[in-house]
Amino acid sequence: MTTTATPPATTPSPTTTRRGAGLTQTLLSYVIAVLLAFVVSGIVIALLGHSPIEAFRAIVTTSFKSSFGLIETVHKWVPLVLLALAFTIPLAAGKYNIGGEGQLLVGATASAAVGITMKDSPMVVLLPLVLLVGVLAGGVYAWIAAWLMDRFGVNEILSTVLLNFVSFGIVDYVASEVWSDPAAGHPTTVPIGEGGLLPLIGAPPLHSGVFLALLVSVATVVVMRRTVPGYELRAVGTNPRAAAVHGVRIGRVAVGSLVVGGALAGFAGAIEVAGVHGKLIEGMQSNYLLLGIIIGLIARGNALAVPFVAFGIAVLEVGASAMQRSADVPMEMVLIVEALILLFLLFSDVVGARLRRSSR
Amino acid sequence: MNEVVPFLQLVVTAMVPFILAAQGTMLAGRAGVFNVAQEGLMMLGASVGFLVSLKMGGNPMGLLVAALVGAAFGWFLGWVTTRFRLDQFVIGLALFFAAVGIASLLYKVVIGVTLTPPLIDTLPDIKIPVLSEIPGVGQILFTQDAMVYFAFLVSGFLYWMLYRTNLGLKLRSVGENPKAADSLGVSVARTRIWCSTAGGALMALAGAYLPMTYTGTYTEGIVAGRGWLAIALAFFGGWRPQYILAGSAFFAGMEVLALRVQVGGVDIPHQFISMLPYVATLLVMMFALRWASVPAFLGRNYDRESRH
Repeated sequence: MTTTATPPATTPSPTTTRRGAGLTQTLLSYVIAVLLAFVVSGIVIALLGHSPIEAFRAIVTTSFKSSFGLIETVHKWVPLVLLALAFTIPLAAGKYNIGGEGQLLVGATASAAVGITMKDSPMVVLLPLVLLVGVLAGGVYAWIAAWLMDRFGVNEILSTVLLNFVSFGIVDYVASEVWSDPAAGHPTTVPIGEGGLLPLIGAPPLHSGVFLALLVSVATVVVMRRTVPGYELRAVGTNPRAAAVHGVRIGRVAVGSLVVGGALAGFAGAIEVAGVHGKLIEGMQSNYLLLGIIIGLIARGNALAVPFVAFGIAVLEVGASAMQRSADVPMEMVLIVEALILLFLLFSDVVGARLRRSSR
Repeated sequence: MNEVVPFLQLVVTAMVPFILAAQGTMLAGRAGVFNVAQEGLMMLGASVGFLVSLKMGGNPMGLLVAALVGAAFGWFLGWVTTRFRLDQFVIGLALFFAAVGIASLLYKVVIGVTLTPPLIDTLPDIKIPVLSEIPGVGQILFTQDAMVYFAFLVSGFLYWMLYRTNLGLKLRSVGENPKAADSLGVSVARTRIWCSTAGGALMALAGAYLPMTYTGTYTEGIVAGRGWLAIALAFFGGWRPQYILAGSAFFAGMEVLALRVQVGGVDIPHQFISMLPYVATLLVMMFALRWASVPAFLGRNYDRESRH
């Protein structure tokens, strides 16, 4: 029996590149996984006595039928892609960040705090400050977990999850005690200053946080693939021992990846405050964390795939409420579809490996 | 004294979900399967347990069906991670999602959206003859519902099985050194699948206990992180049944204390009190992990052809 406190430290990152599978095969496995997931959940919907065709039509058409639907999907995409990256970046180093929700909420709280206390400042000052503070707060919050992991060997899965629950208390305190808006009837803060709001573009309006999220996605891919820190990150994830031998400081890379992840989740929180709500609202995170994780896993840790998968999931999520309205199928069905996509995708690896072995 | 006894009686009740979920985690983990779906399995157990109790014949049936559903999930985790060697964390997270989705879906399909949720009977207290007459202790330990006794019996059984039987020795060896176990003729895959199945059943039971004691109904926030706390508990209980039992007294104590302080009107914002169990867990883990040991193959799949 060993005395180390860090659980499965040597498990290599599960979702990095798959040996022997080309691009066509990978895309094919996605298509098959999605189709199978829809077939299985279609059977379930039929068993519940509803029409699967109608349900799926509601999901797929909502986002593309009207510009309102499309913009709602894009707005949903922003926090999803950022939270998925917040999960994916530490995953590349073999670390699981299950604390995106807490990091998002703490980032949002900090952004709202700045936006409210300095509400008369001009936009050039306030907006960058609101966004920056959110990023920093999310990063610092993730650093707590990273520090516990590095210094005391506390499993990061647990510490990040526990910090989520702590953040609920923080949001509730700020929204219902410190800057409470008594007229709201739900724990909500007063609105932040006008200068802290992200500019809207076009009609129906699209908030400009979308472009920031796009920028962050592109930057992440470039950093992961083309820079030394990105290379070190992937080296630690694929073979920590070899990385250490070649002079990569494993502990620092792991801590850094979690902090960067937290910063991105905090950014998502800041954008939600500055772009969507204009204030801090309890429960504003809905289930972004769950979705961020599932997007990260479906994208298999590939930062380039994350924005695309996130868009697909955003379509499903926006379509879910339409499905509930028009086909009377509970929107939780979509969560099951998503879990099935992931499971079938994982199974396609097994099948693919068998096929390759037998054809050799 | 008249404050302390009801408090401790509540603590013992609150221990049950922690004991069951953490012992389930421990049992699967001792064979090397690290389940991270607790939170979801507890939600599913709560939902299924409540619905079956409400619609078809009472709490025992509800508990039984919940356990079976949990077992099915545990079996699936064990099966795909041993048979196909898929990543334990990724499958665990996928099962977590599926369980969360199914839990809410079932409730919505059966009950729908109502203003006043239907209620089930909560579990009755069973007084153990003679023992319940002991002042103080009798009320704390021996005037409780059946699941309290069950949780303590399970803990005792697991301790006996792991450390006093040949089966337990084999089981532990699978989590510590599967290669050695394999070469001695122990079936690594079968052991892992069984432990994961039983572990899943315990986790779902832990969830089913919640509506049957606390609320009488299912709500989405009913599990409130207890599943994740159960993993923490397995770690700082050192993956040993007896310390997990002791540790769940600590967790339950924090939970009941937080509720008490909230009701008692202490001059601290209640939001900070509600953080207490989670912060305390983090603080304890900083130091408890110094001495805790982890099964060497926890979370790692065994490949017969590899060198380890």
